[in-house]
Amino acid sequence: MWITALVSGIALGSFYSLIAMGFALIFGVTHAFNLAHGELVVLAGYVAYWLWKGWGLSLIFTFPVAVAALLCLCLILQRLFSLLREPLELNSIVMSFGLAILLQNGMLFAFSGDYRLIRAPALTEGIYVNGLSLTYGQLALVVLSLVAIGLLHLLMHHTYLGKALRATIQDREGAALAGINVRIMGLVAFGIGAVCIGLAGPLYGSIHYLYPAAGLQATLIAVTITIFAGVGRIRGLIVGGWLLGLAESAAVILLGSSWRELVSAVILIGLLVFRPRGILGREEG
Amino acid sequence: MERAAPTKIALPGPDRAIPVLLLLGLVLLPFLARSNGYVLQVFTHALLLATLALAWNILGAGGLVSLGHAAFFGVGAYSSGILSLRPGLSPWLTIPVGGLFGAGLAVMVGLLCRRLRGAYFALATLAFVEIPRVVTDNWDGLTRGSLGLVGLPGLPALTLGPWRVEIGSSASASYNLVLSYALVVVFLVALLWRSNLGLALQAAREEETAAKAVGIHVDRYRLLSLILSAFLTGTSGAIYVHLTRYTVPGLVYSLHFSAVPVIFAMCGGRFTILGPALAALVLYPVDQFLFHPLLPAGHEFLYGLFLILVVLFMPGGFWGALRRSP
Amino acid sequence: MTLLHLEGLGKQFGEVWALRDLDFALEEGEVVGLVGPNGAGKTTLFNLISGRIKPTTGSIVFAGQDIRALEPHAICHLGIGRTFQSSRPFPRLTVVQNVLVGRVFGKEVRFRPRADDLETARELLEVVGLGHKVDTPAGYLTPSEQRRLDLARALATRPRLLLLDEVAAGFSPVAIKQAVDLVRRVQERGATLFVIDHFLNLSLRVSNRLLALDQGEKVAEGPPPEVMRNREVIRAYLGLRHEDEND
Repeated sequence: MWITALVSGIALGSFYSLIAMGFALIFGVTHAFNLAHGELVVLAGYVAYWLWKGWGLSLIFTFPVAVAALLCLCLILQRLFSLLREPLELNSIVMSFGLAILLQNGMLFAFSGDYRLIRAPALTEGIYVNGLSLTYGQLALVVLSLVAIGLLHLLMHHTYLGKALRATIQDREGAALAGINVRIMGLVAFGIGAVCIGLAGPLYGSIHYLYPAAGLQATLIAVTITIFAGVGRIRGLIVGGWLLGLAESAAVILLGSSWRELVSAVILIGLLVFRPRGILGREEG
Repeated sequence: MERAAPTKIALPGPDRAIPVLLLLGLVLLPFLARSNGYVLQVFTHALLLATLALAWNILGAGGLVSLGHAAFFGVGAYSSGILSLRPGLSPWLTIPVGGLFGAGLAVMVGLLCRRLRGAYFALATLAFVEIPRVVTDNWDGLTRGSLGLVGLPGLPALTLGPWRVEIGSSASASYNLVLSYALVVVFLVALLWRSNLGLALQAAREEETAAKAVGIHVDRYRLLSLILSAFLTGTSGAIYVHLTRYTVPGLVYSLHFSAVPVIFAMCGGRFTILGPALAALVLYPVDQFLFHPLLPAGHEFLYGLFLILVVLFMPGGFWGALRRSP
Repeated sequence: MTLLHLEGLGKQFGEVWALRDLDFALEEGEVVGLVGPNGAGKTTLFNLISGRIKPTTGSIVFAGQDIRALEPHAICHLGIGRTFQSSRPFPRLTVVQNVLVGRVFGKEVRFRPRADDLETARELLEVVGLGHKVDTPAGYLTPSEQRRLDLARALATRPRLLLLDEVAAGFSPVAIKQAVDLVRRVQERGATLFVIDHFLNLSLRVSNRLLALDQGEKVAEGPPPEVMRNREVIRAYLGLRHEDEND
């Protein structure tokens, strides 16, 4: 039983890392909190669902469409965020809070509150050995998120663009003075974020039930992992994701599934209150 | 004897007309809408939401944005509901007790989040709602879990000597009660902002370091404002639950009750006294009468849209902008 | 009597010592100018005294009490007021409200407004020359007016010791003269003054004594003419080249 929990914890955690990746990059580069991040993931999931249900597209082909849709959306969002005044972090939280409400209700209108699921039988099959079960879906999650992290790491540390992004993350003003176009960096961050969201959404729709209010949980998870990992630390996202996934699996076994949502909330509050280095490190006043 | 100068947050001078007219309309409503119970119901709810927005703004105007006020709302609702069922206490007693439970939760939140500011405080409050919600959902023995509380007593009759006023069974009496409560809240909030405590909270919002340097114990006053805000929110939650006479965790702890005070306070005007209430009394009925019939599902997207527009283009809110004329 | 006594005071940020091993005593009624080039540790010293940061080494004794562990608001209540290098008024509050805050909270907490609070606030505004802008939101003032507002607000807390950080930076000669008069008036009201003055506009004219810092260490202290002739001080301000010339 514990092995299964371990496996599902890692698989779920990998998925969480994928969700967090987009958020972490956008926040790191632009310092804008996007509280509607989870809603965007759910939206991408709904897009995939709609393509699968209404147009008969198989799951694999929904990914590129979802990514494309999210790219368009995220470019618009970047413009919105760039209009915000100081204090940026607080204003972006409030504005994106409104955005989350807007998107939630939009999805409620378009898809109703019924739970939706993309049925992809291939994903539920898997390997069953000695009491350990590993579905192809879980395997795909782990592989996909590791690949995504790997690619992101490659981008950040072995390309010029990545260097510019990292510079912007570390010190916006300094980067601007060094000639980096910070606005373009913001666009890039939103773009890469859109890709991560566009990939996470259809996955979400096939392993989780889709419903309009699901976004908030996803956002909290993304924020928790981002704060845990610290700004600009990519590898921490995978570790954080796995730890969170394992913590949730443990909680489900020890306390029951209805306590699962509490795990990320408590961890997030703990991180915020006990102030790890990372996003927080700002001297007061 | 001259009092301390009124703060920037003040009851309007030349534009006193609008709130007065509105008040007149609200008082006359039960007579005007005698035949239409739905209208009365909508405005009862709007008034309750107005109290939520006013209570939220006690924190908001002090510079702390809470995205999780539903926690206090729900705790107030459930504590009042449970106490009115089990020991069978009268709602007149359990409603303020609900407020006290809200205040108690606020002490926990406030002490825990003492060092948090701005966006991080907002995040913490957003996450914090989950704690009372999940606990309520799982503590079947006390709260009947996700089944919720049903058959709650309505607001009981008021007996004053020879007079007896039925409240719970009468739509207009319920309305008048909530209206009176809302007026009390407005009065309390106005009192706060005109007091020295209100001045301190505003100073702390403007420049925390300078406020400390002139002797303001910022942490303590903020905790105080949080407790007050939560007390009123919890009381409103308790009143709500005795109006609807049932509740489930997913209802009173929902994002709706966290979002609505934020939206009304920001759209109305974070730096005004009446702004939050005015926004509630305008936006909610518009939403219910105009948009709900058009879009039965998802009509609240309007709230989200308004919040985005206000943050981007009108940070002082509509009422704030109206009163900007010096 | 010695109002403020610093002994072995030091502050370390990471690897860097912003202030190191400072010994100094401030007498009641004095005006002491704190001088030194950029990065000398002047503002750090003020931040330590006012409680904004905690010292790494040493002690700060004010009127016989060790104030190292106190919070800024408590230190204000004891009688230390300060202004900031870049002015920090409360922008959305009016000018008079800014000063009122200092008056109401500066010493002990008062929750009921008193009749003389408003009067005193207006009077202080007259002293700093802002009496005509009583109801203007502070955010609308010019930078130099904001500095004067900060001063009035700090004065409203009835300080025994007032830390003035760059009160005359960038002032024209006329404005400097007004500032000098202002400082004298403040001193007459009974406050002891510790004045940071990077450009030396003010401190040379109003100070009884100067304390000169360079790179976190005390370099000289004494009457202004003496300190300004000190070789170390000149070298700190003007660099080695001038020192060579003086030889």
